[in-house]
Amino acid sequence: MDFGLTETQELIRTSAREFLGERSTPSVVRAVADGDSDAITSLWKEVVDLGWPSLTISEEHGGAGLSFGDLAVLLEELGASLAPIPIVESTISSWVLERFGPKSLKSDLLPQIATGDILMTPAIVERNASWDPNSAKVVATRSGSRLVITGEKRFVSFSEQATHALTLVRTDDVEPALVVIPIWQSVSVEHTTLKHASGIPVSSLTFYEAEVPEGNIVAIGEGAIKATKELIAAGGVARSAQLAGLGKAVLDVTVKYTANREQFGRPVGSFQAVQHHLANMAIAAKQVNHLAHSAASSFSRDGYSIKAAAQAKIAASDKIATLCWTAHQCHGAVGFTWEHDLHLYTRRALAWKTDYGDSAFHKSKLAHAMGL
Amino acid sequence: MRFEFTPEESDFKRQLSSFLDDALPSNWHGPADESRDDHWKLNQDIKKGLAERGWLVMSWPKEYGGTDSSPMMNTIFAEEMAYRRAPGHDRFGTRMLGPTLMRFGTKEQRSKYLGSIAKGEIQWCQGYSEPNSGSDLASLQTRAVDSGDDFIVTGEKIWTSLAHRADMMFMLVRTDPDAAPHKGISLILVDMKSPGVQVLPIVNMAGVHSFNQVVFDQVQVPKANLVGELNDGWRAGMTVLNFERSGIDYAAWALAALEELVDYVNSEDSLVSPTKSDSNVRIKLAELYTEVEASRLMCYDVSWRQSRGEIPSSEASMSKVAASEAYLKVLDYGLEILGMYGVLEPGSNQAELQGRFFKMRLFYTSGPILAGTNEIQKNIIAQRGLGLPR
Repeated sequence: MDFGLTETQELIRTSAREFLGERSTPSVVRAVADGDSDAITSLWKEVVDLGWPSLTISEEHGGAGLSFGDLAVLLEELGASLAPIPIVESTISSWVLERFGPKSLKSDLLPQIATGDILMTPAIVERNASWDPNSAKVVATRSGSRLVITGEKRFVSFSEQATHALTLVRTDDVEPALVVIPIWQSVSVEHTTLKHASGIPVSSLTFYEAEVPEGNIVAIGEGAIKATKELIAAGGVARSAQLAGLGKAVLDVTVKYTANREQFGRPVGSFQAVQHHLANMAIAAKQVNHLAHSAASSFSRDGYSIKAAAQAKIAASDKIATLCWTAHQCHGAVGFTWEHDLHLYTRRALAWKTDYGDSAFHKSKLAHAMGL
Repeated sequence: MRFEFTPEESDFKRQLSSFLDDALPSNWHGPADESRDDHWKLNQDIKKGLAERGWLVMSWPKEYGGTDSSPMMNTIFAEEMAYRRAPGHDRFGTRMLGPTLMRFGTKEQRSKYLGSIAKGEIQWCQGYSEPNSGSDLASLQTRAVDSGDDFIVTGEKIWTSLAHRADMMFMLVRTDPDAAPHKGISLILVDMKSPGVQVLPIVNMAGVHSFNQVVFDQVQVPKANLVGELNDGWRAGMTVLNFERSGIDYAAWALAALEELVDYVNSEDSLVSPTKSDSNVRIKLAELYTEVEASRLMCYDVSWRQSRGEIPSSEASMSKVAASEAYLKVLDYGLEILGMYGVLEPGSNQAELQGRFFKMRLFYTSGPILAGTNEIQKNIIAQRGLGLPR
């Protein structure tokens, strides 16, 4: 075992920390939460120039060919800075496309994702809010060599910015299919904006006979279920890495606050009751970090560890929200205000807690993998 | 980052595992109760076997009979031993006193004691806690008075594990009662057969005689047995504790217990089979598995940091807190699954899993208490790790 960063990972961390420290400030996060989509666009343009959407895409398809484990280092920084950019959405879409898609689709789309000309976001969940791929109901009717798609997908992140949605549908012969649907300014796609705690744009997408060529099918039948499961697992691990970074950031601000805030003539952080809250937070942040990196490192071009992926999202979902609530307790009244940035983290943690399967969802997956 | 073992590490784990297959009785479930003669013999046999294979003190430098194995290897060793609930590890001699003597001991002490520890011949025990000095260890009162060539030791030690089996004790004594608490303490080595040493058994709440009260009445201890400088025992003594504090035993015990529960739930023969289709059970076991793996990775992080020359004090405390709590959660849930059978003690008719979970739950109530309570560990995490003021 080696808990150290490779040279590449060290470079990713340093450059991401520097960039996000300047660009993804709390005021930018607040502006985006208030609906300023220009702030997203300009930030996204910059990270495309930095090559971030291309990191895990193979060199063959114009990417940097880095591993999912390398990506996790970046995701931690994105979580710590609450960066309102669709790196996770883009990366897990390209990852699954590259793992499961047909050759022609890959060589068409992946280089464009790498250059930022295409931004793809997953559209999996429907009205019943389930992450079970077998519950997808959006219908794709075959019409010659085309699919005609009708129905609604919910909770799609960055749908306003995305050019394509990686969508799980059910064909009229009842086979599930994972399909790439162009959504940018499409007349057959309606966006219903949600007021979402994450503070990033999240919408529901309604497809009205949206037509796509058969060639846009990434996987079909059992393959589509398998690909979607991997998409959800990758999304869950990615959120875990972000939550690990978020948790560490919240721990850091809470340590700083309690070390400086004085009551009874001494820093409140000198009281054991407060110190034990902070020790619990430190343990939780570290555990989530280890599990997230262990899970991310298990992803390869051949598959991933189902157990590690589930464990990462279980711990991240359960522990980081609790960590945030404890941080509020340690901050006292000031952390209860709108003006203080702490709730920005808490809102994001609560949103990510359920994204790509909540703790109960992943516990069920893990139990299955344990032979239960 | 890399989360797999190297081929060399996996190899070692396999060899140790196969050694234990032979060394442990075929129906062994542990944990060992060293007050039982048969279990004590097992402890001694395994200790000798480990010594013969060069594993007992493999973490030691070559000049003292070790193989300079990495902290990672040592953690794998401890994990496998605990996972099999195997006795014979001798952490007092091999993990605590040995490294302390290498750093603070005289040449004579090193040549006299290190060899016998390495061969598994001498059993050591640790005399730190006293009736009035638990978490506040520096307040200890056992006196060692200068008497020419000897110290005369008078006082009481308590919670001394294995004192009833030990040949020697390393103990902290007060040599300067007028100095500040940390400044007047010395570390000395005492022969348990010395006149005036009396070992009084203490039976723990699980019904096991695992520790003792040790009374010292005017015990003569040669000054040659002083480790480190006079009145500088706190530093040497704390070095010992740094070797003591890791969560890996708990993480391994927790995994073993969790796997027993998974098998139990899946088995057709289980009397209370809350069948594997019960989603509450499945979800809870998955949650516990996550807790166990999270604490296990923390322990390996500690050894990784040690291998880089760090002294990961706060991380070690974190691993102890997390793993000891995870273990109790597993045992608590075991009792819950077993329901009415959960409270049948070992030896009872109709007990499930031989009453093991009940006994282990009582026994490991000590986990969050011993080797620095978890509250003390959290102080360490907050103060040393996070830099908060005292």
